[in-house]
Amino acid sequence: MNRRACLEALLPFVKDQLVVASVSGQWVWGQLSKHEGNLLLGSMGNALGVGMGLALGLPHRQVIVIESDGSVLLSLFNLPTLGTLHPDNLKVFVFDNEAYSGSRISRPSATAAKTDIAAIARDSGIERAVTVRDLGNFNREMSSTIKEPGLGFVVAKVEETFEHRNAERSDVDLMENKYRFVRYVERTEGKPIFLGPG
Amino acid sequence: MNQELAEKTVAQLKNASIDFVTYLPETRLSRILPILEKDDFFTLVPVASEAEAVTIASGAALVGKRPACYMEATGLFVSAYNLLLVSMRLGIPLLLLISHVGNCADQKNSFRFAPTGVRTEEQLKALHIEYQVMANASDLNTGIADAVRMMHALKQPFALLFTGDFTV
Repeated sequence: MNRRACLEALLPFVKDQLVVASVSGQWVWGQLSKHEGNLLLGSMGNALGVGMGLALGLPHRQVIVIESDGSVLLSLFNLPTLGTLHPDNLKVFVFDNEAYSGSRISRPSATAAKTDIAAIARDSGIERAVTVRDLGNFNREMSSTIKEPGLGFVVAKVEETFEHRNAERSDVDLMENKYRFVRYVERTEGKPIFLGPG
Repeated sequence: MNQELAEKTVAQLKNASIDFVTYLPETRLSRILPILEKDDFFTLVPVASEAEAVTIASGAALVGKRPACYMEATGLFVSAYNLLLVSMRLGIPLLLLISHVGNCADQKNSFRFAPTGVRTEEQLKALHIEYQVMANASDLNTGIADAVRMMHALKQPFALLFTGDFTV
């Protein structure tokens, strides 16, 4: 199983959700999806926190977070906070390739040894945290996570692939991405996001 | 901070439309927390690290909340990465309510706080985050409203450093 196949499976399930991706997932997801509700953060350790903020700020709207093992390990404090706050509208997908693949020399992450992100999540109060290891199980868990109410947390063990190293980088910077995202939220929620006179 | 100042601080936050507060409690300003908790106007979000206080508040801002992060000044060092990579790079209006521990006017200053306190303002300058020092109770009359107006005008984080009367 690789991340692209999983994201291709996720694609038709994304309608009006808000989607946040950390650095490694953003290249592939950004190529696959031109959804205006995509927020491609381009940094590690931030997507889950930002996703929690979106979910708490708009509790009636589903929020999807696309994370990686290295990014989650960088901000493990997010897991007890997520378990405590428990936003029912947040769905988290962690693509765990057990490596710092973006480093270009592929050093192993802690999940290549004994660290189990889903187990940490469960012990942090995220009861439905599961690990899947093949595409069939990913499709099943992903589908039920998206369709059913409640906080979802799916760790997908994926092969390390190197397509992101050669992927064409978008020239849409974070500020442009932010405004596209914010205007989408304004249009679909019918309210202004940023205050202040022009 | 005494109870009267805590109530006035929360009232000014509400007047300025701050409605979403992430926090890691500390010693100087913590009396604001029960007051925030009792008022349904505010969404109060406890966190485990100031780093996620910043990212969660930034996410909330992007869907229309008017957020503040309440933290001790040491949390500014913890969250510097997240402020730079999320709030500042995305241009997020975000109020930082910072207990300026270890500052010269901190009435509970000690060897535990001073070594970081003397570097707090330099850290804000290094991050290019605008700030104001709130040392006198009378600063509350306009300080929070001015800061919130400025954070919306800049579309960037703006810090209020509470010391002096607020640390008694």
